[in-house]
Amino acid sequence: MKNNLLTFFVFTLFVSNIYSQFGTVSGNIKDDRNNEPINNVKVTIENSELSTFTNDKGFFNFSNTAPSGLQILKFSKLGYQNKSFEAIIPDNGIIQINQIELKYKPIIASTEKDISLIQDSNSITEITEEEIDNNAPDNDQFTISLSDDELSDDTSGSDNISGLLQSSKDIFFRTAAYEFSSSFFKVRGLDSDNGMVHINGIEMNKLYNGRPQWSNWGGLNDVLRNQDFTNGITPSSYSFGGLLGSNNINVRASEYSKGGRVTYSSSNRSYTNRVMATYSSGIVEGGWSYALSMGRRWGDEGYQDATFYDSNSLFVSIEKKLNNKHSINFTGIYAPNRRGKSSPNTQEVYDLKNIRYNDYWGWHDGEKRNSRVKRVVEPIIMLNHYWDINDKTSLNTNIGYQFGELGNSRLDYAGGANPSPSYYQDLPSYFLADNNGPDYEGAYLAQQNFVNDGQINWNRIYDANLTNTLANENAAYVLYEDRSDDNQLTVNTILNTELSENISLNTVLNYKKLVSNNFAEITDMLGGSGYSNIDSFDNLQYDLINPNLIVGEGDKFKYNYTLFADILNAYSQLSFRYNKLSFYLAASYTDTNYQREGLFDNEANSGNSFGKGEVINFSGFGTKFGLSYKFSGKHMLDLNTAYISKAPSFRNTFTNSRVNHNIVGVDANGLINNTPITEEKVMAFDLNYIYRSPVINARLTGFYTNIQDANEISFYYADGLVGFEETNEFVQEILQGINKKYFGTELGIEAQITSTVKLKGAASVGQYTYDNNPYLYLASDNNTVAMGESNLKNYKLAGGPQKAYSVGIEYRDPNYWWIGATTNFFTNTYLDISPLTRTQNFYLAQDGLPFTDYNVDVARDLLKQERFDDYMVVNAVGGKSWKIDDYYIGFFASINNILNNQYKTGGFEQGRNANYQELNEDVNKPKRVFGPKYWYARGTNYFLNLYFRF
Amino acid sequence: MKHNKTFKLVALLFLMISYNSCVEDDDYSIPTSVGLEENDKLTALLTQINNNEVDLLTVDQVKNLFVSDQAVNIESSIAVKGYVVSSDLTGNFYKEFYIQDEPSNPTAGLKVVLNQVDSYNQFNIGREVYIRLQNLYIGETNSGDGVVAIGGRADGNEIDQITENMISDHLLRSSNTEAIVPLELGLGDINDSHIGLFVQANNTQFPAALNGLSFVDPTDDYDSLRDLESCEDSGSIKVETSAFASFQDRLLPENKGSIAGIITKSYNGDDRVIALNNINDINFDGSRCDPLFADNFSSNNLNNWTQVSVEGEQIWGITPYGNPAPSARISGYDGGNQLNEDWLISNPIDLSGLTTAQLNFQTVVRYNGPALQVYMTTDYTGGDPSDSSWVELEALLDTNTGSWSSWTDSGDLDVSAAAGGTLYIAFKYTSTSSGSATYEVDNVLVTGE
Repeated sequence: MKNNLLTFFVFTLFVSNIYSQFGTVSGNIKDDRNNEPINNVKVTIENSELSTFTNDKGFFNFSNTAPSGLQILKFSKLGYQNKSFEAIIPDNGIIQINQIELKYKPIIASTEKDISLIQDSNSITEITEEEIDNNAPDNDQFTISLSDDELSDDTSGSDNISGLLQSSKDIFFRTAAYEFSSSFFKVRGLDSDNGMVHINGIEMNKLYNGRPQWSNWGGLNDVLRNQDFTNGITPSSYSFGGLLGSNNINVRASEYSKGGRVTYSSSNRSYTNRVMATYSSGIVEGGWSYALSMGRRWGDEGYQDATFYDSNSLFVSIEKKLNNKHSINFTGIYAPNRRGKSSPNTQEVYDLKNIRYNDYWGWHDGEKRNSRVKRVVEPIIMLNHYWDINDKTSLNTNIGYQFGELGNSRLDYAGGANPSPSYYQDLPSYFLADNNGPDYEGAYLAQQNFVNDGQINWNRIYDANLTNTLANENAAYVLYEDRSDDNQLTVNTILNTELSENISLNTVLNYKKLVSNNFAEITDMLGGSGYSNIDSFDNLQYDLINPNLIVGEGDKFKYNYTLFADILNAYSQLSFRYNKLSFYLAASYTDTNYQREGLFDNEANSGNSFGKGEVINFSGFGTKFGLSYKFSGKHMLDLNTAYISKAPSFRNTFTNSRVNHNIVGVDANGLINNTPITEEKVMAFDLNYIYRSPVINARLTGFYTNIQDANEISFYYADGLVGFEETNEFVQEILQGINKKYFGTELGIEAQITSTVKLKGAASVGQYTYDNNPYLYLASDNNTVAMGESNLKNYKLAGGPQKAYSVGIEYRDPNYWWIGATTNFFTNTYLDISPLTRTQNFYLAQDGLPFTDYNVDVARDLLKQERFDDYMVVNAVGGKSWKIDDYYIGFFASINNILNNQYKTGGFEQGRNANYQELNEDVNKPKRVFGPKYWYARGTNYFLNLYFRF
Repeated sequence: MKHNKTFKLVALLFLMISYNSCVEDDDYSIPTSVGLEENDKLTALLTQINNNEVDLLTVDQVKNLFVSDQAVNIESSIAVKGYVVSSDLTGNFYKEFYIQDEPSNPTAGLKVVLNQVDSYNQFNIGREVYIRLQNLYIGETNSGDGVVAIGGRADGNEIDQITENMISDHLLRSSNTEAIVPLELGLGDINDSHIGLFVQANNTQFPAALNGLSFVDPTDDYDSLRDLESCEDSGSIKVETSAFASFQDRLLPENKGSIAGIITKSYNGDDRVIALNNINDINFDGSRCDPLFADNFSSNNLNNWTQVSVEGEQIWGITPYGNPAPSARISGYDGGNQLNEDWLISNPIDLSGLTTAQLNFQTVVRYNGPALQVYMTTDYTGGDPSDSSWVELEALLDTNTGSWSSWTDSGDLDVSAAAGGTLYIAFKYTSTSSGSATYEVDNVLVTGE
């Protein structure tokens, strides 16, 4: 398949247009804000020497001088956004293009030379608001697959990058965003914490895990369209950026063109309905401008069972232009969001039910009630000051404050049976695995019960609590939220200056302070009267300061602590721009301080739990260098390199911040493996060849990334571990000093075959692997059990397909309708392996000697990484728009996975059965009891968008 | 202007849609359907009972359906009602609970085994439960363990748990929860008829030798048995505690007092045990009642005694029989009845600081002859007993001369007259040429407070 594709691409590359005839093209141009004609707009025909200017009435004319055939007309004027328009100029004929709107755009000092190059290369397609709606399946659906999917849960370890990429104009990145995202494809194999997202220059990635929390601004798509995306390690004027690039969402009120827009969307993906209304004033009297947006997204059920969605969004931006040099902008974003989550399941469960199955919900008086709800209420307010010091220098100073609550609910069952309907002891496999031989009767009953019911039994839960209340016992079950209440202040100042015609400088100073309070809070007593703040596993106090506390709704329990972060960052970049050659140099320094303060004194960790822990300091350096060389208008070579050392995120610093001060590599007794925690080191390199002609646009990239000294912490209940007192322990698995290697190639190509038909293709062929055998230890409370090296080298990194291909065709009718379809192929998707089974724990018995029945060949089979089946996904999209008087009405619809293919997008090995004997036994059961858990992609699904613009 | 108007209109429309588009929120109250299904099933059963379509048997009647060494499938339409007396809240019971026939003064109990953990939050103590027995099994979970139980399936000659799916059809709760009044019994009175009942034994303690030990021996994987002795009678029982009980690592209380739990059998049925619902059911608030003098002759000697032969050749000795073996024995027969007077006088027993004291022992007699006599004194100084002032005690002695197994408890003999001083007790054996009985004496115990 791959070879055929490549042949095709190569073939199309050599198709070229030859023009010898001429025709006439004329038209008029107007301001999009007020429909006034614009004079002095430069009109050029690309790849020709021809250009002209509009007259006072906005008219231009190439009278029988324009080359015939498909041509690109380019319109530019200072203060307006460039616009390109494609036209087929008839031989000796006339074509008239009337009422071309240019978008008003205030001049912002910018040094993004490479971006402008890339933008130029892509101006073959109109990049206006209109286009984004028409050309593409709207941004919004990808914000869905990104912010709303279960895979963006912290627990899944998987995340999606499409929100970062959707604003890119690069064909490959757009394909990654729109076609690959539902497969959880990761660009260059990297997690989303490698992409920096900014709003008005303020970094929005969360300190906890380094990832942007997209739902903080979900449902406000219409006001988030002004985005600057810099791909990969190419420089950004806002920050040093991440390996995947950085994105700045510009929400300055003055940057919106006057007008309003109402959008209604319908989907069966995560929400059912979406309504959005937006109005922007443009610049009004007194230098004021404002923009308002409201959105609501809701639905009782997404693609997965009982995944309800409930989100409101509110956006306000007000700008006051004080004078020619100063402008102040206030922005407020409030987007509370609640949604029901869905579970990963074992193959047995999917086989008994279907890929929509979700074990988190049950019937509650005829309603589907989901026990796991993610709730995000984190309003953002920011104040931005823009100061154009002179023609060449601008200073942008920002203050942002974000606060609020993030909660993930779940059931706690200190006094009751595990409420999970797919609990392993309730499934047929458990009965078939009976030590006395398969219990077919039990398996049949379990099968019947699971197929016919198989959901959380809320009535039983309430009954248990009511029974306990009657018997004066504490509640058996409670519903609670794991909460993370952040208060974050960000202050930064961004200086952009042109030192000379060819040299520009960006300097950024950035300070962040985070106070994050984390705790569990009971949200529903479920009919019970009180709940004990004691760990039911070991009968130890969660909080010795208030021992034997009986807690109720609204009370904090289990754990309670605060994390503090202070981050100071300085960044500077010099860009040099010459006719053929451009290059840049950037350097960054970041000083990071973390500190934990325990508010509970956890009994099992007493002495290492309560009060403030030590301040942990990291120093991060980063340097980047890149250059571009333009051989001609058609060919460009671009290379980028970076070396970055950076502080690990909170999540990968503290090993179990809920109960103790321990950090990676250190427990209460000191260093574990003689290796303290260090900064992560990243080395990245990419080389790009960019080709563009009136017909073909292509980019071919080779990349190599090496990450060293990374840490990963996972949490799970483990059975039968050597070295712990309790047989059933909640453990943290700490993997320290991980090296990872990523390399591969990317290709993006589009070919405008005719004025209406475009072919698109993209491919990413990578190999992402562990590159060493990192150190692994397990921790539970104050116990640490070293497991030694985990033999991970050359295992594949999980998370989406490592190879992805897309081919598509698009037809755009002059009568404002269009359709498109793509076929996408995905291969080399791997299961996330359990590092614990790759340690000596796997083959050593309790006495420290290898198992007597250890068979190397069997072990090799057991530890072989599962590679998922390759799969193909076909998507289609189409739409139409109408202009009625001053109004625009349009719609588009997309249908994804038309063939309704069922495929796994991810999964992980369960931490149970950590040794050879247990794993071998489990694998050889009639059905695996502790098989891997998987996520399946959605079957056929749709998204429909209607809008009205005025 | 036009734009503004449109905008307002649209905004209004938008607000209307938004606020009428509720999704499931997080404001849930107690489901109205809680317990409805179970109620329906119970009502149906009660109706059937009223119409004589289902026979409601007593717990005792159900137990009588048990056939030794069998898992009996119940095919007839019968049901039983009982009150839950056990709780798995602390983990001392696992996938089982016990019911008895009445909340107070029960006469029979049953075990119910089910595949459900934390059943306490459904079948709480005191809950009235109807069991629809048809298609269930009656038998033992471990053949021969002596605990009659209801299960859901047969596994050879044993029964297996009622499966999760069967619970809702067979175990039907009524809305009644009664206060369970423990059946108060002396340890010595507890027998197999009490299995499955919630019993309280007063005036008990753990033997002094267990001081400092926990309920479960850390080396035991599943459970531990700890002896419990009575301050009132010679009875004893074992306290069985699961290694999974939340109180398994708590130390055995050292005082004496009342203990309440379910009478059942150890796993293999060898021992009768009492199993606690909760450690709070032990209420040991009195001072220990360790005996001031105790001899069960297991040492195979009479070192605790002074043997004085006043007349005759036969003397007190140790015999390899007893209650249990060995015991102290004397017989005046040697080829014929011989004339004898033989005293067995205890070493001095310190009663200083006490106000009351009791003597208890057991005897068995064979062959005719003068009855054994029991005395106490405070002034024995050794040698000839006639130098001391003996007071005879009215002990209940075995009179069945035809059996070696008619061991008879003496009853508590008041020896408080010696309180504050030193007590000696004595067994005086006499035989004549016309009659010489054989006496065995065992478990001599003096206690006091």
